[in-house]
Amino acid sequence: MKTRFAALFLAAAGAAFSAQNEFDRVVSAVEQHYGVKRTYIPLMGMANFIVKVAHPAGTSGFKIAVFEDLPDVGDQTDLDRLMDRICAGHLHPMIVTRERHGDSTYILTGESGKSTRIFIATFEPHEATVIEATVNFDTLLKMIGSPGNAHRMFQADRDDDNGGR
Amino acid sequence: MRFVPILFVAALMPLGAQEVKMPAGLEKLAAKADETVDVNVDASLLKLAGKFLSGKSEDETARKILEGLQSITVRSYEFSQEGQYDSRDLDEIRAQVKAPQWSRIVGVRSKRDRENVDVYFKDGGNGNLGGIVVICEEPTELTIVSVVGTIDPSQLASLSGQFGIPRFDFEIGNTGWRRDEK
Repeated sequence: MKTRFAALFLAAAGAAFSAQNEFDRVVSAVEQHYGVKRTYIPLMGMANFIVKVAHPAGTSGFKIAVFEDLPDVGDQTDLDRLMDRICAGHLHPMIVTRERHGDSTYILTGESGKSTRIFIATFEPHEATVIEATVNFDTLLKMIGSPGNAHRMFQADRDDDNGGR
Repeated sequence: MRFVPILFVAALMPLGAQEVKMPAGLEKLAAKADETVDVNVDASLLKLAGKFLSGKSEDETARKILEGLQSITVRSYEFSQEGQYDSRDLDEIRAQVKAPQWSRIVGVRSKRDRENVDVYFKDGGNGNLGGIVVICEEPTELTIVSVVGTIDPSQLASLSGQFGIPRFDFEIGNTGWRRDEK
């Protein structure tokens, strides 16, 4: 019985560690690519806690990383290459939206047990945000049904976290 | 045992044959477009979506649809001005939806709205559809939808407006197809 518990514990810990690694891997890839470090957000732990229990609906396990003062992110091909590298074998690019003179958003998915983990990477000319969240089916459907607005579901939360930056 | 890889490849072949590939030339359009939206929902995500559905009757319909689907791909381009794309940009995709496997079921040419819509169905056998391709051309907008998988025609309407597919209603009246865009 003890062995079974130990095996279950290890499996659960492994899944949690892997999820943690995935977010860190995405953040690290953006940092390395643009030679910047994610911006420290004061009271981020508190923000995470508030976001986790409040918004957006159907979302849990929320993580966020903000990057400021990026070199120009205007080259779409370069951005696509970066995201291809990030996705390779790990994540599936479900929705990609691009505005020629504005934001580019990549919504990536990865299975996490019975739920879906999503990564939303939004790139503005000199800023980027990476969000990881676990979403339920209704939220996922809303995102797929309205792909152009999918990243905006998280916009308010991101701005709140940054003090309305 | 050595037959396993052969069987595996053989099983994959019809799936590959069903898929309509988005032409690489569309990337050029993405560079010209003011806004582009790509949606790629693959079989694993569709399967996962099915797991979330409850036992309600409407969910049961959705589950049946999802069970048969293999992928949904949407490419949508919005241009700031007319003439940014040409019908010839779509030749490659139209070449993939030719008879005898495919039939153009709906063809709308609207001079007033300057809109062209073509809907192609693939015969999946046993009265089912094996795939759907929708091409919507407007002066400053272009949308291409490809749905791969087994679809019961009676459940077709349920896909409209879902998974990034534009909401279109097609009805057969006395005067032929009628389309209401919502």
